[in-house]
Amino acid sequence: MADDDGASSIPNSIPPHPSDSSLQKKHASVIERLANRNQTRLENSITRRSESGSSSSSTTSFLVRFSDSKRAIESDLAQCRLTPPEPSQVRSHLDGISASISDLEKLVAETSYFLPSYEVRASLKSISELKQSLEDLNSELLPKKKFSFKNKGTKKDTKSESKDLGLGNAGSMLTNKQQQASYIARDSPGIRDKDGEVLVKNFKGSDVGEFSLSGLSSCEVKLIGSIRALFIHKLRNCKVYTGPVMGSILIDDVEGCTFAMASHQIRIHNAKNSDFYLRVRSRPIIEDSSSVRFAPYCVSYEGIEEDLKDASLGEETGNWENVDDFRWLRAVQSPNWSILAEDERIDTVKISSTAG
Amino acid sequence: MGLLSIIRKIKRKEKEMRILMVGLDNSGKTTIVLKINGEDTSVISPTLGFNIKTIVYQKYTLNIWDVGGQKTIRSYWRNYFEQTDGLVWVVDSSDLRRLDDCKSELDNLLKEERLSGASLLILANKQDIKGALSPEEIAKVLNLEAMDKTRHWNIVGCSAFTGEGLLEGFDWLVQDIASRIYVLD
Ligand SMILES: Nc1nc2c(ncn2[C@@H]2O[C@H](COP(=O)(O)OP(=O)(O)OP(=O)(O)O)[C@@H](O)[C@H]2O)c(=O)[nH]1
Ligand SMILES: [Mg+2]
Repeated sequence: MADDDGASSIPNSIPPHPSDSSLQKKHASVIERLANRNQTRLENSITRRSESGSSSSSTTSFLVRFSDSKRAIESDLAQCRLTPPEPSQVRSHLDGISASISDLEKLVAETSYFLPSYEVRASLKSISELKQSLEDLNSELLPKKKFSFKNKGTKKDTKSESKDLGLGNAGSMLTNKQQQASYIARDSPGIRDKDGEVLVKNFKGSDVGEFSLSGLSSCEVKLIGSIRALFIHKLRNCKVYTGPVMGSILIDDVEGCTFAMASHQIRIHNAKNSDFYLRVRSRPIIEDSSSVRFAPYCVSYEGIEEDLKDASLGEETGNWENVDDFRWLRAVQSPNWSILAEDERIDTVKISSTAG
Repeated sequence: MGLLSIIRKIKRKEKEMRILMVGLDNSGKTTIVLKINGEDTSVISPTLGFNIKTIVYQKYTLNIWDVGGQKTIRSYWRNYFEQTDGLVWVVDSSDLRRLDDCKSELDNLLKEERLSGASLLILANKQDIKGALSPEEIAKVLNLEAMDKTRHWNIVGCSAFTGEGLLEGFDWLVQDIASRIYVLD
């Protein structure tokens, strides 16, 4: 990809056969420009520091600045490739370009608080591509020092088993397994490996840290009271209703489930055909998920209002519908999630601690 | 004088340090950075991309890069390796299920040529949660003793929730970097 980019963005203004002296001049001016840029950067970062956070920039002005610097960097790269600098100056040229890319990166970072998520991701992708082009150019112009490619399993690997695998690169992933054996056999409190059961857990009055639900199939789980963190893994056709979680909920690998829960943060990975009724303080996120639908929280039990308030989840934030799909880069709505139509939503789920 | 040496000079004069915070998603990186900086930590969304915080710490200026740890974003980590003085690896000590993941991602990082000179601080975060593994247990799971002998590293238990352990960790990191970079002053 980088090669094509480089070729297509070569500015027309470069003469095909520059004389030696004009070449020298050009290189001198590039260096000067880069040094200036570095100076501006320092000044900027100083003024920025003193302003400390009063950012009035808009998305549009960011995009203009971003694409300007991006174009400048691309043309520097193209120029360098077309008329390589003196060997003695290659390093400083490339360092200069690298500094400009870092500036661009800082610009994105500083604005990432107010940028729409797809802009952040798109900018990151561009930066990543610029870095790739620079790396390519680097290896073209500065042939690698002679260091042998790292052989897995020779120096660092003190365990002998992994050497015998003969899997080449793939082998490196397997070396973890043997370490796992040495690891502490301890499981966090939770409900595991059940099929077709109704499970009610009341945390009121107990100080529970984290709690796990894992390997459940066709179960109905009701958690009363608050906990610090909730881990959910491998659930099929389950219904899960919970009180407030003061930290975060991490969900991985669920299918055909319904969840109603309240938490500060919710991360959803590998979910399919599932509905989420959420109250959440920050933006819920999904990754590698499809056909997931969202609606507002709908759980009640005796004393839930107080529990929610104590967990700073007393008020509806409206964030249940501000879902970020980390796999979806574009401005248009992600096809992986949707808002659950009102007439398809379940009624408030009332849990009583005596049931089950 | 080459541009690179100009940059180095400036960096040295300002006593800047570049610190890269990475770790699995949900480990608490953003919470830690905001906590150190004395900011509100009550509403934090998972990081889509990255944040930079410039923090004056003792007599140093730390540029802390907090990069998102979601799977989709991990492939971008490599973009931030250059010129890293200190690497902070944050672990959710209560997330037992993903410790394997955590170990293999850390192992991958430590193979990186470009990070080979960086001091490594491992923060065994969320110690306030009942059931969290202790720093010693985390060290064992991550097999830290087997690390390359040339690497400067340390593991510290902490809680971004209470703030405990954070300063201890960063004090070590900053001192360690300073003793390598600013030996001449
Ligand atoms: N109990 C407890 N919760 C914590 C602690 N540190 C972080 N958390 C919670 O853990 C969740 C994740 O924290 P973040 O700071 O967003 O994690 P992150 O590493 O930045 O995650 P990504 O941006 O996705 O990579 C949040 O709900 C925090 O409130 C801690 O020390 N104790
Ligand atoms: Mg974060």
